[in-house]
Amino acid sequence: MKKYICITVILGLILFTSCTDVVEVDLEEATPRLVFDASIKWENGELANEQIIKVSRTRNFFEEEITWVSGANIEVLDENNNLTTFEEVEPGHYKTENFTASLEQDYQLNIAVEGKTFQANTAFVNTTSIDSISQGNEGGFSGDEKEVVIYFKDEPTEENYYLIRFNTEFLAFPSVELQSDQFNNGNSISISFSDEDLETGDIVEIEFYSISEAYHDFLFKLLLQTGSAGGPFQAQPATVRGNIVNLDDFDDFPFGYFSLSTLEKVNVIVE
Amino acid sequence: MRSYIFAKKILTKKLIPFFVFFLCCFFSKAQSQTANLSGIIFNQEDNQPILGANVSIKNTSYGTVSNIDGEYDLKLPLGEYEIYFSYLGFEDEVKKINLQKDTQINIYLVPKEEELEEILVEENVERTEIRSASMSTNRLTSETIKQIPVVLGEADVIRALIQLPGVSNTGEGSAGFNVRGGSAGQNLILVDNATIFNSSHLFGLFSIFNPDAVKELSLYKGGIPATYGGRVASVLDIEQRRGNTQKFKGEANIGVVSSKLLLEGPIQKDKSSFLVSGRSSYAHLFLQLADNPNSAYFYDVNAKFNFIINPENDISVSAYYGRDVIDINDNFINVFGSSFISARWNHKFNNEISGNLSLIANDYLYDLEITSAAFVFETGLSNINLKYDVSHRLNTDLSLEYGIESLLHEFNPGLVRPTDALSDINRRKLDDKFAWENGIYLSANHNLTKDLQLQYGLRLSSFFRLGQNGFSTYENDEPVFYNSEIGIYEEAPILESTSISRNETIKSFHNLEPRLSMSYSFNDNQSVKLGYHRMVQNLHLISNTSAPTPFDIWAPSGPYLQPQKADQVAVGYFQNLKKEAYSIETEVYYKTVQNSFDFINGANLIANNNIERVLLNGEGRAYGLEILLKKNKGKLTGWIAYTLSRTEQRTPGRSPDEPGINNGEWYLNNFDKTHDLSVIANYQLNKKWSFNANFVAQTGLPVNFPVGQYQFQDLNIPVFEGRNQNRLPTFHRLDISATLIPSKNESRDWKTSWNFGIYNLYNRMNAASINFRQNQETGANEAIRLSIFGIVPSVSYNIKF
Repeated sequence: MKKYICITVILGLILFTSCTDVVEVDLEEATPRLVFDASIKWENGELANEQIIKVSRTRNFFEEEITWVSGANIEVLDENNNLTTFEEVEPGHYKTENFTASLEQDYQLNIAVEGKTFQANTAFVNTTSIDSISQGNEGGFSGDEKEVVIYFKDEPTEENYYLIRFNTEFLAFPSVELQSDQFNNGNSISISFSDEDLETGDIVEIEFYSISEAYHDFLFKLLLQTGSAGGPFQAQPATVRGNIVNLDDFDDFPFGYFSLSTLEKVNVIVE
Repeated sequence: MRSYIFAKKILTKKLIPFFVFFLCCFFSKAQSQTANLSGIIFNQEDNQPILGANVSIKNTSYGTVSNIDGEYDLKLPLGEYEIYFSYLGFEDEVKKINLQKDTQINIYLVPKEEELEEILVEENVERTEIRSASMSTNRLTSETIKQIPVVLGEADVIRALIQLPGVSNTGEGSAGFNVRGGSAGQNLILVDNATIFNSSHLFGLFSIFNPDAVKELSLYKGGIPATYGGRVASVLDIEQRRGNTQKFKGEANIGVVSSKLLLEGPIQKDKSSFLVSGRSSYAHLFLQLADNPNSAYFYDVNAKFNFIINPENDISVSAYYGRDVIDINDNFINVFGSSFISARWNHKFNNEISGNLSLIANDYLYDLEITSAAFVFETGLSNINLKYDVSHRLNTDLSLEYGIESLLHEFNPGLVRPTDALSDINRRKLDDKFAWENGIYLSANHNLTKDLQLQYGLRLSSFFRLGQNGFSTYENDEPVFYNSEIGIYEEAPILESTSISRNETIKSFHNLEPRLSMSYSFNDNQSVKLGYHRMVQNLHLISNTSAPTPFDIWAPSGPYLQPQKADQVAVGYFQNLKKEAYSIETEVYYKTVQNSFDFINGANLIANNNIERVLLNGEGRAYGLEILLKKNKGKLTGWIAYTLSRTEQRTPGRSPDEPGINNGEWYLNNFDKTHDLSVIANYQLNKKWSFNANFVAQTGLPVNFPVGQYQFQDLNIPVFEGRNQNRLPTFHRLDISATLIPSKNESRDWKTSWNFGIYNLYNRMNAASINFRQNQETGANEAIRLSIFGIVPSVSYNIKF
């Protein structure tokens, strides 16, 4: 009996061996589609003349190098038929320095590339600005990370949607948060960013956008695909279509989105 | 002339009454010349009634066999008798009586000392039923459930079920189970008549059923009798044990992660009893010792009280209360669980008819508090259920069951409540929903001939969606809008939101559900069976993840959510070999489900007040072959279960212009597993040691792998096309365990045993999911496999007193 007790004590340790591993997976590749990254940002209420639209193509999931697409004709039209043309400055990057934007206007994007024509429509959205920013040391799930918190006041009379991006040097890509006023209408809303690697002296770049409902819904579906909500309970992956339409062939649709949003940019130094 | 008239007077006035009186005396005397001998036959060791025990009377041809409640009854002429009560594996009991009036004798049979395994076999509950019309049914006893080795040493009802053919689940640490490709919300789970809406603790690590409190369970995968209704895939009917009416007993089990204690005994000897069983996990205490501020634990309590009022009436009251608590750093606090109380009054009208009146109250709640954001999210549902079921034996070849059932449901889809004044969350109540669900049924068990037995029935289900606040209407009655400009489905805007009184019906659904199964026996050992059923489901589990989570919402049918209707046909062949040493059960089934819904892309279910805006109607179909080979006798027993199956869903657009999901083509549903093999083996080496092994091998679940990627706003976005086009790697695992019964047990009243187990013996990292994402440090894309359990050893100690 004594022998049994010894053995069982040793064996009785719980080994909760749940774990994650990087694995190799053979992936198929679908017919490539065009991608239009057309996010017009009107910064801090000033005239944001310089804007960039990027055109690329989908590629294999593990292929690191981006496939840029050259030779596109890109124009943005407003309600008064004012035309802004974008010129290619490097492969896939199309720039303008003459963009003028005004609120409450509808805009139309027209792109001609590789023999196809694309179009999208969007409207500018009313602005909200950041009220204040605070910092703390009890952020994150475990409550011991440095954090930066922004506060803003939601307009109670309408439905508002927000996009917040935090970036800092050690992050490979920005941390993105979506917020709607569904649960906090009319209140002062707070969004926090924290990371266990955040230290005193780090600079956090904060971009605060007011976006349209359609763009919010699109980003919501898109972020679900990025696996940021991964796990056994992840929702169904899906093909996320944006608002850009192929005028010649409806089913040969591109990815990406055409949006116009107000942007407030703030850099914060972590204390 | 006068004497004639006088004689006639005497005849009519005196003789005829006297003659009538004489006749009456004769008849009543003839009646009073017999009496009823009846009672219940129990197993003295565990006080459970014995089905199939023999009652015979020496030197006569009178005799009978006890029924599922252990009851027997004989009508005998008055006189003296020597009555033999016997059952294989038990010592015979003889009673000498002088029968002068209706007499009740309860018998307690003592198990024979040797040949333990014989008793397990003759436990009629689990044997392959050749002649009976019932098919697509599996029965398990508590003993079998406890023999299957499981993770962390805890015997588990659902883990035992998924070793049967046609039953599977979505992975380790995953709640619920899937029957013939159906989702977890398509199983009707009953514990002593109470409906269970969430069958798991801790997101699927353990089921809420305490195996010690379970007497036996039946799983109906097809040929479902008309007594049941309400879900389309299966019925799991669990009966709880009743307490010992003779003496106090108890059992304790101490394991590495959790412990259980069971106490039972008489309240009034021979008349009433109680049984209370509780479990609790304490692994979180180890975490606290290591200064880890997180904890996850569960506890549950089962209780059952039985009162035999008189030979015709008995009352049983059954209750359950269970809670799960997950606390991550006092910031994220999750509390959820079920509770029910179920009371049943059984009344015997006579030897042929008995009725059960049941009243059940049921509650399920889910609370999530996030202290850093200062709010609480509360959701839940409750119902109250009244039913009356009658068992009516017309003759030895025909017996009926009929009854009526009524349930009132209340659903709370959610309340968001700020916990302090400074919180930036507003109070928001999603509208409660109400429904009234009814069923009336008639079912017959009919032996047409010795070889041809039928079970047929009809159920009428009537479902009323009752009024509520905030009932929304939409343009064209379409809650989902297809934006043809950009080709996506969106939530349609709400036209109007009205309040309708709870006394009014928004919409009602009436459905007839025919049920039929029949068996044709070639002989005592071989038969062929055929079954058909239609099942209608009016409560739907809305979950867009493969595995159920407590976020899932139960929603009632209504104007925008149609009842699911399943039609299933099954054909089976059953055979016992070598005097039941081996049995074979094979079945082929085909099932179609109408109004099987699926979700639009990007459906957001959390705190959605109008989930009809993200659902699309479709149809499902499933077909498969199930094979079960059992070895029932000898030192080595067990079974091999193999299922070959396919389950698909099709969700077309509502008009030719709409794509639907996956372009309106059939796609695998989330629970499809082409091959599913389970092997269970028990080896009884000697009185001291027994060994168990369990091997499973299954096709991986359908998933979606990306077919490309692109950059958008500095993020890598994976591209997916279609639905469920890929699969996770094959899932396989071997578990072993050993049970040690010390020889000291024979010389004392209290018995102990040890159980040692190793889960996942060769440490296979089975993929619960594969996520494709960007590495946060390098920015490169990678595939991450999540496995729940590697190799897990365990030990537990059991005491019976």
